[in-house]
Amino acid sequence: MLSIQHISKQFDTVKALTDVSFDVPNGQILGLIGQNGAGKSTTFHSILNFIKYDGTITWQSHPLSSDDFDTIGYLPEERSLMTKLTIEQQIVYLARLKNKSAKDIRPRIDDWLGRFAVKGTRKSRINDLSKGNQQKVQLICTLIHHPKLLILDEPFSGLDPVNADLLKQAILNARDDGAAIIFSSHDMENVSALCDHLVMLRKGEMVLNGTLNEVRSQFGKTELYVTTDWSATRLTTLPGVADVETRQPGQYLLHLTDPAVGPDIFAELTQGHYIEEFSQQPPTLDEIFRMKVGEDHA
Amino acid sequence: MRKTWVVTFETYLRQIKSWSFLFMVLGPFLMIGLTIGISYLSANSASSSKQVAIISTSQPLRRDYIKQQDSGLNTKITTVSAAKSAMGKNHLAGYLLLSDNQQQIRADYHGSSQMSRALKAQTQNFLSRYQQAHNYQQAKLTTKQQRLLARTPVLQQHIEKKAGTANLAKTISFWILVTMIYIILITYSSIAAQEIASDKGTKIMEIIFSSTTATSYFVGKITGILLVILTQIVIYLLGGWAAFQFAMNSASLKPLITQYQSLIDAVLHNLLSINLVYLFLGVIIYTILAAYSGAVVAKAEDASKAAQPVVMLGMFGFFATFPFQNNMDALLVKILSYVPFFSSYFMPMRIINGTVNGWEQTISLVVLLAAIALFAGYIGSQYQRLMLQTDNRSFWQHLLHGWRHQS
Repeated sequence: MLSIQHISKQFDTVKALTDVSFDVPNGQILGLIGQNGAGKSTTFHSILNFIKYDGTITWQSHPLSSDDFDTIGYLPEERSLMTKLTIEQQIVYLARLKNKSAKDIRPRIDDWLGRFAVKGTRKSRINDLSKGNQQKVQLICTLIHHPKLLILDEPFSGLDPVNADLLKQAILNARDDGAAIIFSSHDMENVSALCDHLVMLRKGEMVLNGTLNEVRSQFGKTELYVTTDWSATRLTTLPGVADVETRQPGQYLLHLTDPAVGPDIFAELTQGHYIEEFSQQPPTLDEIFRMKVGEDHA
Repeated sequence: MRKTWVVTFETYLRQIKSWSFLFMVLGPFLMIGLTIGISYLSANSASSSKQVAIISTSQPLRRDYIKQQDSGLNTKITTVSAAKSAMGKNHLAGYLLLSDNQQQIRADYHGSSQMSRALKAQTQNFLSRYQQAHNYQQAKLTTKQQRLLARTPVLQQHIEKKAGTANLAKTISFWILVTMIYIILITYSSIAAQEIASDKGTKIMEIIFSSTTATSYFVGKITGILLVILTQIVIYLLGGWAAFQFAMNSASLKPLITQYQSLIDAVLHNLLSINLVYLFLGVIIYTILAAYSGAVVAKAEDASKAAQPVVMLGMFGFFATFPFQNNMDALLVKILSYVPFFSSYFMPMRIINGTVNGWEQTISLVVLLAAIALFAGYIGSQYQRLMLQTDNRSFWQHLLHGWRHQS
């Protein structure tokens, strides 16, 4: 388990992290969300000991040291490889730095290239690959040694939906192998789809921490999805409706001021008749993210 | 340790397999080969047209001249008409007509240009000796009289050897050594600085530092570069040995080498000694400084500028040796022979000159080794911070910042 307890970091006059604490148990995925500059990369750099920080970070109950390097898979935010090498040379070099022998790694390369649908062979030069394929090679370098602690900084950035699905599958496989996984993302859909646990940072402070359901439940079931022949204007007259969004013609999202008004709205809208859709839910992660960012701007 | 070797191996292979290394190593051999080849071709094509024919109605006179020196002579042409014909076809530079008229030896040179200085001197020498022998014979002098007439005055120079004055072997050794140190330092300082600077601020460094310690990586890089230097030195030693063997088997070069054998032995003795240790340690400390310079550049794009401080220091050390090559006893030379970065130039100079004892050499070596250890340790500890940050601090600001972080 990765345990982060009360870490703080200050760069000159800027507070990058303030008293951040969370755990990532083995076999679980934690999503770290936040705006640019919220402190996500600083958190990763602290875990990897790239920077000095106040507080405690432990991995498997001891401070993370060079002895643990071989069990870490790290994907930095910006992609960077040694462009003059071939795919095979690059993968083998980085795997050897993880104490894997070339003999172990070489037979696995073709399988991984196939798994990520990389367009190129093991002999292709990194320089000759497209940006997307370079990113996939970097992902292979991060995963091929079967890390037990996986740190992925914006892993979905720049990937199309098909490739994002391939990556999601690889992350889920690593989780099933028992790895503790922490990743940052701006795409709340990916976070919702993958995470067991969620932490949101805002200006270095932790503003959300919990499972996806816990976080969403904190905000109450204030979102009401309905499909009806009522007009948007008429819907706003219902009791406790703050705002109405038209999703599709006849499909609306009602923002409620109080979750308790749900049954009253149901009675009035249906009048005892069949209705195609009436679903009262907490806000989506995307909405929560916007709300939290908005709070800061308000 | 294993990871350090992985980095060493990768750095070494990347450098060795590059075109720039190949050109750097083979460059001097290609240049020498090209020069010899062109000289050979030029000599071959020009040799016949540079020859001179010796023609005389007196066969003994002609025979004696040719016996004295036959190189550069065409001995096949024996008549004036044949010589003129060969000159017309540009196969002959000229002909020397030797005659013996009324006991007077005479030589007339006919050519399109002046006689070469060597041929002129050789001909004058021959004519003087021949005429003298002829004169003695005609004058019917006794052997004693001949000896008395042959007596010449003597002029001999007696130079007192001053302390600090280098003889020829020392001068040659000095120049070969300082030039060798300078070229290797400048070349590899640039390579080391650029090798490190090109990684600066790149995310691959983050991946690498999540796999191995910065110190281990730094040591691996430096060792890789040092192995490249060693490879180049070994190739040059092998090349030098092969060239020596070639020269020893070459009829034209062997006499030259035999003539200067003692000088060659003295120079080799000066070079293949503890001076090589100074050369290698000097390369190590300059390479570490170059790596540091590479690590403090603002960004990878500035890699080409990275080596400048080291190159300047190396040049300063090189040019600082010039005024002292004939004055090794100067106080400054003694001081600089203990100062790291300069001792690699100045201590070998003193060793070649024989003005330093074993203790002084040991102290200088210990100081140099300690400086290398301290310097490598300090940079190793700062390396991760330097490589991961991208800011516009200068070399000196980084140095000060590093010291503050240490304290």
